Amino acid sequence: MTFRPSGVYHQTYAASHAWWQSNFVRAKMALLVVFVATLPLYASLYVVSVANIVLYTMLSALGVQLLTGYCGQITLGHAAFIAVGAYVTAMGVLFWGLPYLVAAILGCLVAGLWSVVFGLPSARIKGFYQIMTTMAAQFITVDFIITHYVSRVGGREHYFSLPPGTITIGGWPVDSEIKVYYLAAALTFLCFVALANLLRTKVGRAWIAIRDNDIAAEAMGVNVVAYKLLAFFAAGVLAGVAGAVWIPSLLFVSPEHFQLSWSLWIVGVILIGGVGSLHGVAFGAIFVTVILELLKLAVIPLAEFYPALTERFLYVKEAAFGLAIVLFLLYEPKGLAYRWQQLKNYFNLWPFAY
Amino acid sequence: MKRLALWILALGFALTLPAAWPQEIKLGSLNDLTGPTSDVGKDVALGIREAVQYVNDTGGINGKRLRLYLYDYGYRVPEAITTYKRFRDFDKVVGVLGWGTGDTEALSPTVSKDRIPYLSHSFAARLTDPKTAPYNFVYGTDYSSNARAAMTAWFDEVWMKDARFRDARAKGEKPRVVMFYHFAVPYASAPIKALKEHAALLGFEVGPDQNVTLTALDARSQVLAVKDFRPNLVWHGNTTMSVAAAIKDANALGLGADHIVNNWGYDENLVRLAGPAAEGVMGIAVTAFYGESAPLMDKVVEYAKKINPGVPQEVRMIRTVQGWAQVLMMAEAMRRADKAGKLTGPGLREAFETFRDWTPGLGVPPITLTATDHRPSPVVPVYRVRGGKFERVKNVDLRARWPAQWQRQWMGY
Repeated sequence: MTFRPSGVYHQTYAASHAWWQSNFVRAKMALLVVFVATLPLYASLYVVSVANIVLYTMLSALGVQLLTGYCGQITLGHAAFIAVGAYVTAMGVLFWGLPYLVAAILGCLVAGLWSVVFGLPSARIKGFYQIMTTMAAQFITVDFIITHYVSRVGGREHYFSLPPGTITIGGWPVDSEIKVYYLAAALTFLCFVALANLLRTKVGRAWIAIRDNDIAAEAMGVNVVAYKLLAFFAAGVLAGVAGAVWIPSLLFVSPEHFQLSWSLWIVGVILIGGVGSLHGVAFGAIFVTVILELLKLAVIPLAEFYPALTERFLYVKEAAFGLAIVLFLLYEPKGLAYRWQQLKNYFNLWPFAY
Repeated sequence: MKRLALWILALGFALTLPAAWPQEIKLGSLNDLTGPTSDVGKDVALGIREAVQYVNDTGGINGKRLRLYLYDYGYRVPEAITTYKRFRDFDKVVGVLGWGTGDTEALSPTVSKDRIPYLSHSFAARLTDPKTAPYNFVYGTDYSSNARAAMTAWFDEVWMKDARFRDARAKGEKPRVVMFYHFAVPYASAPIKALKEHAALLGFEVGPDQNVTLTALDARSQVLAVKDFRPNLVWHGNTTMSVAAAIKDANALGLGADHIVNNWGYDENLVRLAGPAAEGVMGIAVTAFYGESAPLMDKVVEYAKKINPGVPQEVRMIRTVQGWAQVLMMAEAMRRADKAGKLTGPGLREAFETFRDWTPGLGVPPITLTATDHRPSPVVPVYRVRGGKFERVKNVDLRARWPAQWQRQWMGY
């Protein structure tokens, strides 16, 4: 739990439920918003494009966090729903002439409904068996339906390439990294706020009850199946948002972007960031993306003098991701988010240790 | 601790040492050293580094040093994107050497917008149409041409000549072909449409396609599924390991068909993995095999021994030579662009489009590129395994044989 600084009391329920309860926190969040909004002003395009990947990873992992971290439904096929969102958005813009935002909303809804289809088995099964059904979602959706049928629409082989300038929001073309960045940042912010609030409602409490013990939840009157399916729907919608963000950043979509490895990657994100925490999604996404870029920063200049670094040392990179997950599970099972919480508490309680 | 600090200081100095060369030209290279295609990607990366060293040892780019930024992206598209953007904004490269279909096609619209030429190891035919991919270039014949050429070579050299098929030919039977490939992988499925058209053109009967994954260790069920069709020919559209497994199973189950293989499934490892079953298998190689006699091959072997002495010669493959072909083609374009005083993205693209029957040696067919056609060559060399070695069967010239189709219909897929 978080401690409030001495002297901050609440006299209404609304105040005690407020997100940001002290001026310090409000200032901190304002600073974050200013930082995010002004980043492209002083950062290079390269940094902005790394930020775009971070935001895309956050959006991708948000649905996994909802399903796995809050509703206890393990998923290893989330890239499938991102793919549905991306493909429906691309097709909406490309073939049906829809404005980007309309196509994106349609993409989110279709991804949500498609996710519900693969959530249906969760009514009867859980645990390892559910891992299998969600992986089935991956293979059926991406490797089978999208590769064989959807990709062939319009005589294109395996890819949809959108002509530049087709993605516009109210006549404002989204055609550069910076514009994509603002779009992604706005959508990420919206999704975080929406999910954070959803988790505090009856629905969110029902999900958490199911996660903690589904039998007890049912005994308390929670309609387990309905709420599980609702969780799948919400997670699918969030995946659809990620898919919609993917489109303008590349103007290109192919089944290769949504392979099983990406599903596993975003599960890794929440394991590192912290299962059952929205902070965890943000921290995990930043961690896995930025670490790889830092490695690049070190290896590329040094490779000039020690070429073996790129050809031999880089294997470490793949191993490091696995090792990071193992070490986090062993020593920090609650992830980076828990460490962040501890850090905040330390300063809140300082100079007293209790 | 003090010693460590000294080392770090020394390293820092080493990094800031001014280069002995007057100027540098920067070249980015995206490679897969750790991902699903790393079995061939590692060898290519070694070849690229050796070839860059060779370019610099022989005068660089008109006296300017070629500086290579090579990085592994593990076949993950998001990492390919950030690495490409690092090359573009941070390292400020003039051109990029790309790897697979994953990064190349995904980045194709982006490189067109950024106007940075992208010379890839993915030979998907789409990349050769300047209308859709103006800044994409390939150094080898595209997958669709490869498939057409391999089928043509088998038809001419085996079906029409081999005594095994004399009766079938006399009875007017059609040759029967089936296709083994990983449906979901763009590399594998890219030439299928072209291949089916070509089968119709040559009068083949086409059996049911079989999905063999890139990671397949056996293909028995697929072989059994086509056994009733009694194919004479099997097209293998995958990479080496999977192709070797399929050929071995076809042999073991007595399928009795010949095999033709696309270029990423046809290398020294195929013979090692499939053993005697590889005998007679025909396939495409976009350059000469490692150590095969060809102009400049002595340099390839010399640099391989000199720069990577730790890598045994026996494991070096045709992929090394492909890395060389890619670097030499890029270096040649850079020289031309530099001479014209326009060593920028658009200038480099124009330089590529001045190639007329240019070849780096190494068994690469003469490359001609124009502003309306980025297909490097209509001539595709087809090889056959004989006694565990690769021998060239013939060069199929698709343009000479089907001039009208080559010019118009076969562009861009």
